[in-house]
Amino acid sequence: MNGWNGKILEIDLNTLTHKTYPLDMDMARQFIGGRGLGARLLWDLVGPEVDPLSPQNVLIFTNGPLTGTGYQTSNRFSVTTKSPLTGTVLDANSGGFWGMQFKKTGYDALIVRGRAEKPTWIEIKNGKVTFHDASDLWGMRVFEVTRRLGQDNNKRNVLCIGPAGENLSRIAAIMNDRERALARGGPGAVMGSKNLKAIVVEGTERPEVVDKDRFKFMLYETRKLLAASPLTSQALPEFGTVVMMNIVNTVGALPTRNHQQTQFEGAEAISGETLTEKYLVRNASCWACPIGCTRISKTDKVEGEGPEFETTWAFGAQCGIDDLAAIIEANSLCNDLGLDTISAGSTIACAMELSEKGYLDSDLRFGRADLLARCVEDMAYRRDLGDDLAEGSLRLATKYGHPELSMSVKGLEMPAYDPRGMQGQGLLYATSNRGGCHMRGNMLGLEVLGLPKLIDRFQVQGKSSFVILHQNSSAAIDSLVVCKFTNLGVADEYFARVLSAVTGIPYATGDMIKAGERIWNLERLYNLREGFRREHDTLPPRLLTEAPTDGPSKGWVSHLEPMLKEYYRTRGWDENGVPTPKKLEELGLAQFVEQVNRETTKP
Amino acid sequence: MVDPRIYEMFRDIGRDLFVSNLISSHGGNLSIRLGDRVIIKRRGAMLGNLKPHDLIETGLEKNDSGVALASTELLVHRTIYMNTPALAICHCHPRTAIAFSLSRDELVPIDNEASYLLKRVPVITEEFASGTPQMAHKVAEALKNYKIIMLRGHGSFAIGQTLDEAFHWSSTLEESCQIELAVKLINEPFIEYRKMSEAYNKF
Repeated sequence: MNGWNGKILEIDLNTLTHKTYPLDMDMARQFIGGRGLGARLLWDLVGPEVDPLSPQNVLIFTNGPLTGTGYQTSNRFSVTTKSPLTGTVLDANSGGFWGMQFKKTGYDALIVRGRAEKPTWIEIKNGKVTFHDASDLWGMRVFEVTRRLGQDNNKRNVLCIGPAGENLSRIAAIMNDRERALARGGPGAVMGSKNLKAIVVEGTERPEVVDKDRFKFMLYETRKLLAASPLTSQALPEFGTVVMMNIVNTVGALPTRNHQQTQFEGAEAISGETLTEKYLVRNASCWACPIGCTRISKTDKVEGEGPEFETTWAFGAQCGIDDLAAIIEANSLCNDLGLDTISAGSTIACAMELSEKGYLDSDLRFGRADLLARCVEDMAYRRDLGDDLAEGSLRLATKYGHPELSMSVKGLEMPAYDPRGMQGQGLLYATSNRGGCHMRGNMLGLEVLGLPKLIDRFQVQGKSSFVILHQNSSAAIDSLVVCKFTNLGVADEYFARVLSAVTGIPYATGDMIKAGERIWNLERLYNLREGFRREHDTLPPRLLTEAPTDGPSKGWVSHLEPMLKEYYRTRGWDENGVPTPKKLEELGLAQFVEQVNRETTKP
Repeated sequence: MVDPRIYEMFRDIGRDLFVSNLISSHGGNLSIRLGDRVIIKRRGAMLGNLKPHDLIETGLEKNDSGVALASTELLVHRTIYMNTPALAICHCHPRTAIAFSLSRDELVPIDNEASYLLKRVPVITEEFASGTPQMAHKVAEALKNYKIIMLRGHGSFAIGQTLDEAFHWSSTLEESCQIELAVKLINEPFIEYRKMSEAYNKF
């Protein structure tokens, strides 16, 4: 097949059986793969009556038409499920090697249903599926499981959960290739609820490319562009993603102490420069990636991948902590226990504020680096306060009577960009289909980095157009699937041409972005069917009412309301944020109209 | 009321288009998409000398009183916005590029900068003048796959996320054509310095 393998593998853990069926190629053309294909399959498989942690929820692992082709960063894959943290549609996306290897097993998607009677791990080797008893692995941490199951980067790849997933923490990640994470929204808890410890893949089926000459040309041009961009050829390889720390702090958009400030006085101490100078051992890369943003860092206690910018911020500025060694160790623990670092850090920050204000009886305080490791461990094992922390910040803050102190959207903790200093980013978070997320069309490029050109980060009028374009584009990129860092040097038009070369189907740039818009709208319909409404497209009250008292964003709150109104109109949605029949017709989603109308008119 | 920062952007790029010889006194056009609205130059206004009242705001799909004042090219700009990911459009009359468009079906740059940025610029033909639905659809269709295209004998249409991005493609195209013209005048054998350049015309 061209780009796609043309096959879906479905596993039923209730019966430990599996079946294979053909991929609907019309569906593939419309939704591409990865996140788009996952959302489309989820629509049919998991309705509003399904509890995310019940056997009726599914895990859908997908690769995309570019995965495994050798195109730069074509190592990535997705998992789609209903989130136990937010209740929304959830897609989480990861790099490393597993995605490429999964593609080589000959499948485009793996659907996991049901719940195994006892702990189980699955091996998929050249199309053959074997179920193994995982009783001896249950309770084991990620690094050890990965080693025991024979991780070998280019040949055999391990995806698993740690204790956090087993204990159904709603912020548990699924880990692959030891330290890569399908992190956000709690997919690790869904896997834990299925008694599924690991999935190991080994394959030999290299994907076909239709127009090899054109593909070769695009590979060459992409290599040139990535080499020419200082971001992809210098900043990310030299400092990793933490290079953003000083940049975002300088413009006054670095959320600090649970978003009480927008600049952190300790930013330099936790910056990419400091990480490189004091803790970096070497760089590493995902499969087929020339950028190599991965850090291998080392302290007296740990050595491993990371920390990424978001992690460093979450355990750092957000918790008022400038002890980089403690942050590296917390990151490593999260990887080993299988936790989302953004949600873990921001939930601890929320607990710190609750404690400082006397709403929660604990010794947590901003700046207490000495408590980070214990908090992370407790969270994974649900010990003491950790049992509350494992639920994420919104449930935690709600339990202690102050939901407004959760810095989340739809229950998902926001990342490291403060909407008061980046107005577009606020609109992005408020409208993101999986909750507060920076990977659904980050405005960092336009509002801070000047990619492709700098726009006024405080401007409100017209921001929706930029946000929507980047949301649609990101949905398409997540469906190819390639790394968004490639997009820092390579424009969308290149991806469309590579997709055309690989599949033989002519995708204009506009067609690819339109596919992204289709995916975005389908995810929106899913959330509407789940009961999400206009009032959920919002930000924590702090960001709407409390302006920073100093720094470059002094005096600014998020002006969400006018942006949101404009956003709905620009999307072709009604004033309640429901896609209009006209828009759905235009996107080829007409078959969903009746069901959406039925659901959205419910009281 | 158009945000003063938006006016300044139009004023500065309009002036740059004029001083760069990319337009005549009243030629060319600029617009941006703001959500479901379009801001475009007033009919007859001079891009090189824009005043705040020269910017007209109207609906992307729906008409309002703004259309009575908007540029005659509003239709093509709207059609481009509705059919491509564009958020800004720069239409200008780059003289050397226009000259080449009279004898070629595509402009494939030979200089480094435009090879890097543009690769290939298709030339499309439309008998009717600006503002017709036929022209609007042809231009929009071509811009689904290219960030700048040439309308034979008329000028270029470039799209971007911002006005300065669309302007960037426009000035790059004209610079590239001027270089190629100079190369033709020098009339010496061309030394290929770009690997895989033979694939540019398939971009």
